[in-house]
Amino acid sequence: MKTFAELGFPGRLIAVEGLDGSGKTTQIYLLKRWLETRGLKVYFSEWNSSELVKSATSRAKKLQLLTPTTFSLIHATDFADRYERHLLPLLRAGFLVLCDRYIFTAFARDVVRGCPAEWVRGIYSFAALPDVTFFFKADLEVSLRRILDTRPVLKFYEAGMDLGLSPDPQESFRLFQGRLLQQYLDMADEFKFEVIDANQPVEVQQAVVRRIVSRRIKLAQFKCNRPRPVAVAHGAVGKTEPVTQQVE
Amino acid sequence: MKSKIKSSSISRALPPRRFYGHGIPGVNLDDLVGTLIVIEGADGSGRSTQITKLVDWLESHGYATTRVGLKGSNLVGAELAKAQQGNILSRTTLALFYATDFADQLENTIMPALRAGFIVLADRYIYTLMARDMVRGMDEAWLKNLYGIALVPDAVFYLNVAPEELVQRALFKNAALDYWESGMDIGLSRDMFDSFLKYQAAMQRAFRRLQTIYGFAVIDGNRPVETINRELRQQISAVLRGRVRPRPTWRKSR
Repeated sequence: MKTFAELGFPGRLIAVEGLDGSGKTTQIYLLKRWLETRGLKVYFSEWNSSELVKSATSRAKKLQLLTPTTFSLIHATDFADRYERHLLPLLRAGFLVLCDRYIFTAFARDVVRGCPAEWVRGIYSFAALPDVTFFFKADLEVSLRRILDTRPVLKFYEAGMDLGLSPDPQESFRLFQGRLLQQYLDMADEFKFEVIDANQPVEVQQAVVRRIVSRRIKLAQFKCNRPRPVAVAHGAVGKTEPVTQQVE
Repeated sequence: MKSKIKSSSISRALPPRRFYGHGIPGVNLDDLVGTLIVIEGADGSGRSTQITKLVDWLESHGYATTRVGLKGSNLVGAELAKAQQGNILSRTTLALFYATDFADQLENTIMPALRAGFIVLADRYIYTLMARDMVRGMDEAWLKNLYGIALVPDAVFYLNVAPEELVQRALFKNAALDYWESGMDIGLSRDMFDSFLKYQAAMQRAFRRLQTIYGFAVIDGNRPVETINRELRQQISAVLRGRVRPRPTWRKSR
């Protein structure tokens, strides 16, 4: 697998990964603001998938129809849809694309559900690797508290209830997140994650993120020559919305 | 119609059940005691006619059967049908959407029926899906990995019919050609008739390529229905005679 830069794309993709409650969504939002204020061609991918795929996915989850295999495949379908319709054209057009979660979320999640790692990776092999991947590494307890304190009602798949780890959703969520964390840590070297200490203050983390981005990407190339369109509300990405919305 | 299914006392053991690749996690293959028979072929190759006759024949001999086709899953069947109304999904997305449908039916229809000892007659299987994707330029190794979830059937028959004959049958039946069966989405020709012939020829080449990998039986589908059915019954009888699967040898500990 190669990065977009290695494949000769004019655009660059920056992905953030981490557990729910690791603060990654806040960090990518701040990164986006910074790139925008510097007048760069930046796009924050909101993962809007097409109606068809979305309708199948949400019904399947509501009715709890998914097995590990179909869970993996339906999310791969969703990802492929966004990738081909949305990400590829932006990267061809030379945008800096920011992704809140990328293929590593699927790698971690599907393997924890029991799918063979090589199978999952093979399926996602149509996607190029990010040019920079940040992994926000918070203590498990910190992430858990941030989620469990704000939103006590966990969805079935979000809590990993289908794994049968515990009949209690909160306990199941804890065990599930612990296993996901392990998967992420196992991938960190292989995929050259920039590991950020997510126990530090937000602005300290953000300074590190910005430094790494400006070191690894030639930002001057992404200067936007035309006036920016009037900003569309992207939904405040602060802590009013629970960050778990991207998970399942 | 009266060919006998001989129940031989000496049972030729079929090879043990297996998946093509990584398979479905958590499945005990020894539980799948039924028989999986796949009929492949283009639209108009006579698949459903043959399957209907086979169901009659098998049921008259006391075998329980289940029919399964593509796009039939609870999970995404409805959305797939809609996706076909307008050409809106790109090729990787569509390939994965079909794979999701297949996986759902494999886990929720095919495997439960096999556990119950049924004969499952599959009206198309992964080969059609793979051939369609190959014709659209998807990577063969990628498809092989994806469909490594599939069970290896006990028998696969590919009804091979010449594109020129298929086009006659399709027009005879519907007086029109289907958008997808003509491969109109890939732009082989703006002329639908022309596109149909080119697309079906490309599908045949893809099937020939898959035949070298998966080794299914190629049946000449240009012959009369009864002749083909007799050949299928003969081959399926042979499969059923050898149906007793080897059990894992049970040894007393010590």
